[in-house]
Amino acid sequence: MTRLADRIGWHPTTATLIGATLVVGGFLLAEANWWFIVLSGIGAFGPGILRELGWLRDNDEFARRAAQRAGYHAYLVTGLVAFVLIGFIRSGERHLKHPEELSTLFLALLYFTWLLSSLLSFWGARKAASRILIGFGICWLLFSAADSWQDPLGLLMHSLVAAPFFVLAALARRWPRAAGLLLIAAGVYFYFFFDFHSDRRGGLITNSVTAVLLVGPLVGSGVALLGERRATAP
Amino acid sequence: MKEDIRTEVRRLRFLHDEMTQEDLAARVGVSRQTIIAIEKGRYNPSVGLALRIARAFGVRVEDVFALADEEPRETRDDETG
Repeated sequence: MTRLADRIGWHPTTATLIGATLVVGGFLLAEANWWFIVLSGIGAFGPGILRELGWLRDNDEFARRAAQRAGYHAYLVTGLVAFVLIGFIRSGERHLKHPEELSTLFLALLYFTWLLSSLLSFWGARKAASRILIGFGICWLLFSAADSWQDPLGLLMHSLVAAPFFVLAALARRWPRAAGLLLIAAGVYFYFFFDFHSDRRGGLITNSVTAVLLVGPLVGSGVALLGERRATAP
Repeated sequence: MKEDIRTEVRRLRFLHDEMTQEDLAARVGVSRQTIIAIEKGRYNPSVGLALRIARAFGVRVEDVFALADEEPRETRDDETG
């Protein structure tokens, strides 16, 4: 475990591990009662609040600055999306079926922008983009295996879809600009391919949350790779 | 605005019997990840940490960090001295 942590360059503190456990536990227990979701909130934001208050000193200055910078990025992205969403909803006769899902969208935006920015600070744009793409590729392979494990030909064909992710991961290390452009193009393609712009597949909010999870890391990594020289220090 | 800083941490580690990043991190009280980020120019340390790193190598802070568009200190010393 220590070797793996050394290899990926991530050494979570005890508070971070407790926080992660609370986040997962909160989501699981929310199936029984929604009040348990508060545990996830405490796990996600509690350690940061304690650090800002100075009651928890488990991070060095690099980790603190990376977290603060990621927080600013999350503020910028979430703020901009909020205004776009207000404009979109208030400009026509659009009624949200489940308005409470708006909070899910903003939490997803806040948390994943923060996470992506933290990874970019810790690993640098090239390594972070490369690892995110490898993660995407592995997830796709696992889904393919789960979906068509009884059909070897189908499994092979599905698995081939993961190949561009691994190619892009290698490309991100060597040619970051080209990889950055391709990632942004891939993100835009996925956005339209999966119909995130229309409400045919799901509601506005469900589509937006899925887009944040699927398209966000690709576009975020692409932008970071394109701006690599300008964003060298947290 | 971000300042481009040139760092000599990697070279100084080499000159100090190939001191490991882990060793340096332990001496100055930060994580190895922080030393890696400093060496790669992804993070400009605080004045306090810069001073601690310089002390760990027994040199002045200007021998470890300099503005990117500045000539190395040894060159400037040669010109003046």
